[in-house]
Amino acid sequence: MTSPMHLASDSALVEWMMAGDENALAALYDRYSGMLFAMLVRILKDTGAAEEVLQDLFLQLWRSASRYDSARGSLPGWLLVIGRNRAISRLRTRVRYEVQEDGETFSIENVASPGNMEDEAWRAQMMNRLRDAMAALPGEQREAVELAYFEGMTQTEIAARTNTPLGTVKSRVRAAMQALKQVFDDGTTRQPGRS
Amino acid sequence: MERHVNPEDPDLYALGALDGQDKQDLEAHVRSCAACAQELAAARQRVMLLGLAASPVRPSPAVKARLMEKVRAEEGSRSARPVVEPPARRRRFSLLVPLLGACAIFFAMLAGWLWQRDLRDANRIAFLQSRLAQTEAQSREIAHAAEETDHLLGMPGTMRAALNRMPGMTAGRVGVLYNAKMGMVAFAGWLPAAPPDKSYQLWLVPMKGAPMSLRVFSAGEWNGTMMTHVPPGMEAKAFAVTMEPAGGMPQPTGPKVLVGVPS
Repeated sequence: MTSPMHLASDSALVEWMMAGDENALAALYDRYSGMLFAMLVRILKDTGAAEEVLQDLFLQLWRSASRYDSARGSLPGWLLVIGRNRAISRLRTRVRYEVQEDGETFSIENVASPGNMEDEAWRAQMMNRLRDAMAALPGEQREAVELAYFEGMTQTEIAARTNTPLGTVKSRVRAAMQALKQVFDDGTTRQPGRS
Repeated sequence: MERHVNPEDPDLYALGALDGQDKQDLEAHVRSCAACAQELAAARQRVMLLGLAASPVRPSPAVKARLMEKVRAEEGSRSARPVVEPPARRRRFSLLVPLLGACAIFFAMLAGWLWQRDLRDANRIAFLQSRLAQTEAQSREIAHAAEETDHLLGMPGTMRAALNRMPGMTAGRVGVLYNAKMGMVAFAGWLPAAPPDKSYQLWLVPMKGAPMSLRVFSAGEWNGTMMTHVPPGMEAKAFAVTMEPAGGMPQPTGPKVLVGVPS
């Protein structure tokens, strides 16, 4: 059943969560769980583990809603970054890297959303275009990006895994991200439903 | 000419793949270089969206059910959690002890007193911070609801309902604005704190079908303006506030305390 709150903005739902409204959390879950679960399953390759991370992520959202500042970044951006971070930490049982979680807060810098991620149509369009763009990348470039993003490997680890010089790994990642940049740029200039 | 980071490094850093000296160099450089910091921010945005490249998979409905169960359990234990008082200062030893012992006790007591004072101050600060955050959140919510209420008042088809107290309810008042076509409900008023283990719950009673919960008032006295949405097109027969077990119920089970018919 569609939540009666499904039309509300993320920031309104977060405010309602702060007031203790569980329906607001349920609405945010309905909005973003599919997107996040897909990423978590891809990283963890285990639906049970992905479900646990997904549940913990929304539980953290509920507990720390009062610390969310929409001016500092988008909610789906926060969910994607922290979700990936947790999944990779779990996958590799290693210390967190790159994004500092700063305890149980929303304090992550520079995770502003480049598009209208609250809009489901925009997300669906972006997913399709990204998948097409990834499929169109030369195999070694796609592999380098996927090993970094979905397996959390460092450049040194990718070089060792693929038996490739470090400089080549860097160039491949750079070339792949430049090719994807066009998709991102188009996505941010053509945003259905952006207000 | 100023030397910037390698063009590959912002993307690698945002991916979490940059390591060793390269990583340290980039972190040091972006602290003082706005252009590279901006490039890194753009790279983080690109990397964030890579999560959308995974093929869609829906989680089992049981995950949401477990999540909501946990949230309700946490809320229940939070409201039932006893207030922890700082431990009383201990005075176990007599002053009739050798000098060194007396000194040790004096310093121990001093440390204890300072610790208690710090604890009291920390508690007071935490309390004030939480009240401030609560007040700010309420202000934002009220401002948002006030804007929406203005909008609602100007729309054709908006109905009003003043909820009247039922026998046994000695205080509290709630007014509702409702636009069935838009599926918008605004409500304002005041409700006293519900008895322990109880919550007040506001319902929309439709012409057809079961009542729909609009809000559970769990945290003490409520005084404010709120806004919510329901599926558009639902004709309202009445609005009511009932008293329910703490945390609210999916359907009304308790006594009606306020009731109003829209007109």
